[in-house]
Amino acid sequence: MLEMIFSGLATALAPLNVLFVLVGVILGMIAGAIPGVNGPMAIALCVPMSYYMSPVAAIGFLVGLNKGAFFGGSISGILINTPGTPESAATTWDGHPLALAGKGEKALRMALYASVTGDAFSTIVLILVAAPLAAVALYMGPPEIFALICMAMTIIAGLGTKSLLRGLIAAALGILIGCIGIEPVSALPRLTLDITQLERGITLIPIGIGMLAFAEIIIQLQNMPQGADAAAIKFSSKKDDKYISWHQYLGTLGTCLRSAIAGTVVGALPGLGAPVASFFAYDQAVKHSKNPESFGKGNILGVAASESANSAVVAASLIPLFTLGIPGNVASALLIGAFVIHGMIPGPLMFEQNAQFIYSIYGSLILANIFLLAAGSAGLRLFCKVVDIPSAILYPIIIFTCLLGSYMAQYSSFDVYLMLVFTVLAWFMRKFNYSIICLIIGFILAPIWETSLQQVIIASEQNPFMFLHRPVAVVLVLLSIWIVIRSYIKDRKMKKLFKN
Amino acid sequence: MNIKRDAWGYGCMICFSLSLLFWIIPTWTPPWPGYGMPADLVPKVAAWFILLLAALGLGRNLLILHKERASAQKATCDKEESAATRPGWLHLLIYIVPCALFMPAVALCGFIPAGIVFLLIIEFLCGQRKPVPMICVSVLPVAVVWALMRYVLNVPLP
Repeated sequence: MLEMIFSGLATALAPLNVLFVLVGVILGMIAGAIPGVNGPMAIALCVPMSYYMSPVAAIGFLVGLNKGAFFGGSISGILINTPGTPESAATTWDGHPLALAGKGEKALRMALYASVTGDAFSTIVLILVAAPLAAVALYMGPPEIFALICMAMTIIAGLGTKSLLRGLIAAALGILIGCIGIEPVSALPRLTLDITQLERGITLIPIGIGMLAFAEIIIQLQNMPQGADAAAIKFSSKKDDKYISWHQYLGTLGTCLRSAIAGTVVGALPGLGAPVASFFAYDQAVKHSKNPESFGKGNILGVAASESANSAVVAASLIPLFTLGIPGNVASALLIGAFVIHGMIPGPLMFEQNAQFIYSIYGSLILANIFLLAAGSAGLRLFCKVVDIPSAILYPIIIFTCLLGSYMAQYSSFDVYLMLVFTVLAWFMRKFNYSIICLIIGFILAPIWETSLQQVIIASEQNPFMFLHRPVAVVLVLLSIWIVIRSYIKDRKMKKLFKN
Repeated sequence: MNIKRDAWGYGCMICFSLSLLFWIIPTWTPPWPGYGMPADLVPKVAAWFILLLAALGLGRNLLILHKERASAQKATCDKEESAATRPGWLHLLIYIVPCALFMPAVALCGFIPAGIVFLLIIEFLCGQRKPVPMICVSVLPVAVVWALMRYVLNVPLP
């Protein structure tokens, strides 16, 4: 066992793997700092690149990218009051007033240290919790897996979206898209519309790039932000306005740890996402403060709470992925695509079949955190310049990358057209308020869901009441029903509140 | 919240699920081989699920719409709202069309000329009017990507 751990960590420390993690963190920070470009978008664009890397380097690179983007989002949030990523919205409430007061660099450093603290905490939790949970998950049979996927999709649709109804429709749409290709029992093409290229099925890359990157860019071009100018922010030259002393950091450590716990719990639950974690942690920081009226006016604890919580989500969202094979958020859903590219299926079996690989990922996660601290501290002012890049330069390059990324996945022009189809679909979904995340997660879980349903039907000899003999499956199904009812009641309450 | 737009969305979903149930799934699903699970079970379950939820949503929205129609003030509000949230199809189309033409253009005239022209068009659409940045942004990424694909990644270009 120890030999496997050391061997895994040694693989993570191979020079090329270390380099890719570093490149991932830096690219992620740049991507996150650009308003409108977020972590999942950067991951979707970079997944095709991972074809050319070793599995450890690929996952390390993508994890680094995600971590970097989470911190990068705070840069534009603090400097121009336009959060680069949705999870950084709470950071702007105190970060931007600090920047206006000339303490922008101090706020950014606090965001960095809080991100590193939150991330370190959740990485430790992931390392300690994932293996025992995976061992328990191995005892789950097809009925439990089927019920668990139903529950995960209900949580994602019910808690992670504005409307449960539209969230569930999007998830069902994702399942339908996942059914396209060769049918597992008869090995004959299904739902292919007589298009030969569809017989091999649809991969995550055109969906991810089209729905998360290209559609987002088109929508942003439609609502081009105006008046945001980082140059208007002046950095004070006073040492106290630029740096965070050890004493100040230790003063915020309690808030950081409390927020990290909130972020880890939220991250480990599928569907809630980093914005929920950061808003919750911010709210808790205000409630625990002796000086709550200072929040929103430039309290450094507000920045610490939000950033620590949202960064803790990154590693925590890998807990359901590694233990159950269920993605906690869209970034980990895209990571599944990268795992599949390298011939691995995330889930409890990975701890038995690819234990060394798991420890290499742990090593990459720790490395990414160290690089985030080092690169963030060294190049903070440089990353601030990214905010100034005009969208007329940046967006054409991103659109070009979208086309090439889709092509590179299978060297197929058909994938480019498929990407455009999903861009149009995502555009309509956004306009009609349907959740894209639900569709992607439904698409990813469709094969596992179908396989487990098939196993249940075969084992039970077509008896649908077999579930009643499996208490865990019954509990999970009841939980799903409870989530649906709870979401419906919440939805009605919100509508009444909105009306009043 | 735009009730009318949501109702349109649910209506489209109903049409889509009906076409799935009565045309797409029966036509493009292999017959049951006699063991395991029928190939059309999961697609049918998903399509029925979409149909039921969309019908539920549509019914609810039509009811709200009916109630809101009673008040003339609300109706004016809705009209204003729908004008503000007009989808902007043309905007989507002007970006999708050049992208759809990009791959045939690459096959026809090669990656470098097609890539440069494509980027020039997209830059123009994104609002770039300065000639120097326009040329730099169209030439440099194409050259870098071409070199990367040709010499580093060995990607065969169409």
